[in-house]
Amino acid sequence: MTLRLHSEFPAPNRVILQVGGRLDAMTFGELDEAALALLRRLDDGGTVVIDLAGLEYVSSAGLRSFAKIRKSMRARGGHTLLLNPQPQVRKVFDIVKAVPVSEVFTSTQELDAYLDRMQRQITEGDNDE
Amino acid sequence: MTLHSISSRMALWVLAGSTLVLATVGALLFSFTRAQILQHSHHEAAALAASAGSQIQARIDRVAVSAQMLATIIATRQDSAEPLLRDTLQANHDMDGLAAVFKPSSEPGDIHPYSPFIRRLDDGTLITRDLSYDANPYGDSNWFLGGLSCSAGCWQRPFVSLSRRRQLINYSVAISREGHPVGIINADVTLDWLHQILGHLNKPEGAYAFVLDSDGNYLAHDNPALVGKRGTPTLLEVLAGDRAESVRLPVAQNPRVRGAVWIYSVPIEGTHWRLGLVVPEIQIYAGVRRIFLWSLALGMLALLAVALITLLTIRRTMAPLGVLADRAEHVARGELDFELPPTTRHDEVGRLTQSFDQMRHELALHMEDLARVAREKQRLASELEIAHQIQIGLLPSEHYLDAVCAHFELHAALRPARAVGGDLYSYFMLDPGRFFVMVGDVSDKGIPAALFMAQTITLAKALAPRGQTPQSLLRLLNLELCRGNDSCMFVTLLCGLLDTGNGNLVLASAGHEPPILCSRDAPQLLDFPTGAVLGLYEDSDYPEHRLRLRRGETLLMYTDGITEASDHHKQMYGIERTMESLGQVSSMAPTAGYIERLLGDVDLFVADAAQADDITLLALTWHGSTPPSTEIGIGNQLPEVFDALDRCEHLLREADVPLSLHSDMRLVLEELMVNTVEYGYPEGRPGQIRILLHPSPDAVTVELIDDGIAFDPLQSVLPDLPGDLADREDIGGLGIHLARTMTSEMRYTRDAHRNHLLLRFIYPNQDSSS
Repeated sequence: MTLRLHSEFPAPNRVILQVGGRLDAMTFGELDEAALALLRRLDDGGTVVIDLAGLEYVSSAGLRSFAKIRKSMRARGGHTLLLNPQPQVRKVFDIVKAVPVSEVFTSTQELDAYLDRMQRQITEGDNDE
Repeated sequence: MTLHSISSRMALWVLAGSTLVLATVGALLFSFTRAQILQHSHHEAAALAASAGSQIQARIDRVAVSAQMLATIIATRQDSAEPLLRDTLQANHDMDGLAAVFKPSSEPGDIHPYSPFIRRLDDGTLITRDLSYDANPYGDSNWFLGGLSCSAGCWQRPFVSLSRRRQLINYSVAISREGHPVGIINADVTLDWLHQILGHLNKPEGAYAFVLDSDGNYLAHDNPALVGKRGTPTLLEVLAGDRAESVRLPVAQNPRVRGAVWIYSVPIEGTHWRLGLVVPEIQIYAGVRRIFLWSLALGMLALLAVALITLLTIRRTMAPLGVLADRAEHVARGELDFELPPTTRHDEVGRLTQSFDQMRHELALHMEDLARVAREKQRLASELEIAHQIQIGLLPSEHYLDAVCAHFELHAALRPARAVGGDLYSYFMLDPGRFFVMVGDVSDKGIPAALFMAQTITLAKALAPRGQTPQSLLRLLNLELCRGNDSCMFVTLLCGLLDTGNGNLVLASAGHEPPILCSRDAPQLLDFPTGAVLGLYEDSDYPEHRLRLRRGETLLMYTDGITEASDHHKQMYGIERTMESLGQVSSMAPTAGYIERLLGDVDLFVADAAQADDITLLALTWHGSTPPSTEIGIGNQLPEVFDALDRCEHLLREADVPLSLHSDMRLVLEELMVNTVEYGYPEGRPGQIRILLHPSPDAVTVELIDDGIAFDPLQSVLPDLPGDLADREDIGGLGIHLARTMTSEMRYTRDAHRNHLLLRFIYPNQDSSS
């Protein structure tokens, strides 16, 4: 079982990256490459949603890949949100405290609510300007 | 000063002793002197009595002679009787009256012869009366008739003359004419002079004198109340006796005198009178008693003085002793710093003081010495305690359960007789498939044995990889121990090498007690030939004995502390009892059961006798082999690692390892192996990684062996986990942390070339239940 990647752009400032299969020392390179290409297409201040629903396994190499994405998104004023981590992945995240709990969502509804809230903040911020 | 002090007691005894001596001597002297005094007193009193007697005699004689002379003269010259009488009376004042009385005529009517009676009146004048014309004719009166018969003169009874108011006594003598009495001369004699004589006697004080007449009446007595009275029968009887001169009467015959008296008496010639001198006995002894009382008092005073001097002298002499006694109490309390009395004397006390001082100094030295010895002892004890800890530290744990495949289990017990001992046991994995075990006993006991034991156990461990087999290990060990072993210490050693895969056991013994094999049947003594003890002969050889342990069989190794454990009667426990004890252990019992049983039985046998030797017991149980483990060998390339990971997962599935563990195990193995591949071979050299999987009913054990550079994951630093990996500059160490967190047990060893990592994953359901 290898790594499966799929991405879509529901909006110009948002990309959803679906990661499936197994992310380990063997496969993390693929994710790094794909992410690099995707992020390049994303506007500054955009949001990357990494959908982990199909990810069965992650090792420290994969954790490092996620960290890299988050780091570069942060550098560009963007956000990285994680969606639906499976038990094994969740466990690994917990052990190494990989990401802030506020950026991990267990369902799409939860994520949408969060995104809407964020959208409103930005819009209101624009009105204020 | 109390009565308990030597001085007062000595003074008391001196006083008591001298008093006793004085009293005895005094009493003897007193009784002796008393006899002398009595003798003297007798003489004196007798002389006094005699002198008094002769005085009385003289007075009486004068009266008697005068009367006789008158009688003779008047016999012829009856007419001149009156003037003769008058002259005589004038001359002799002892007479109160004189009468010349003639027989009246027998013819009635005849003229009575003139019988003049002249008497002295109180004023000294003499009056004459003619008795022949008295109203009461005298012719028939007793005094006249009695007088007629006294031709030689005789004294009549005394009488009291009422007319003259005095006591008188008559002396009568007959006037004879031609051989016939014609009348009498009658002299009335007063007794006043008798009293005077008695009164003027130079009598001792308290003495009194008396004169008794022939009838036993008192003629005179110093006590006038008794005059005229009759003497008591006792007195009279005594005076009538043979020894009347000096006689003792227990009671005086005079109310004025009390107590016993001595009576000295003399008869007065011519009369039947008797003069007595009575001296109270108390008076005789009064002088000597007084002198003795005085002497006694003075003697007592002198003795008191002597006692006082003794007391003072002894106190003065003994004074340093009191100080010494006081100081001795100081010494008893451990205070040695004090002043002693100055010693200028050379007597016993001086010597004692000097010796005391010397004793004090030597005691101080001794105590200092003792304290030093005690400190030394304490230091030794603490060193010994440390040595004990070190020695215990040399021994591996008392329980070893083979973690890799649980094929065998080991229990050991070591009980030193002293703080440190010469018994030893050791075990270790010679390599993953072979387990080395040994039990030994160094000759001698205590520290030398402990040092030799430490040398043996260290050498054995160091030489084992080179020796590889018990036989060659014993040879190597022997050579090493022989080197420089001038003290000729030696050690008996039993070595065993267990093949953990199949239970094959190779044994070799250097003069050690034979091991015992406990199986379902009776325990069996494995008495195979042994080599010489280690440390003495360099060319010794150690034959090997091979056997195969079957499932549940236990090999028991021990030292002679078991077989030679002795009870109070010096009876040894012996191998028979050992076998018997082991025979009672059920073959299903855990390994520790053999040790507990045997030690318990030995303790019961020995009871409270002291443990003489170290006791060591080691039980090795073979639990039987499980299906062979799976081994995967790969090169140090990432693809091969992941290939191996897949194969592992497959194997785990086949072995029915719980699914929940698969990801964890994969993660751990990936992290460790990727780490090895990436960092274990810095120069890019090819390497080998081996993975050994041992699934068992409750856990999976994985052994990870690689020939990369030394790396102990257990020693790696815990990474800093801020809560967001993106915050970290260096994202390293996560994998090792994950691997450590997800493994139930992780052990690391390193041999010459390889890292051995033992991982244990306990099945979750059992994990939660435990």
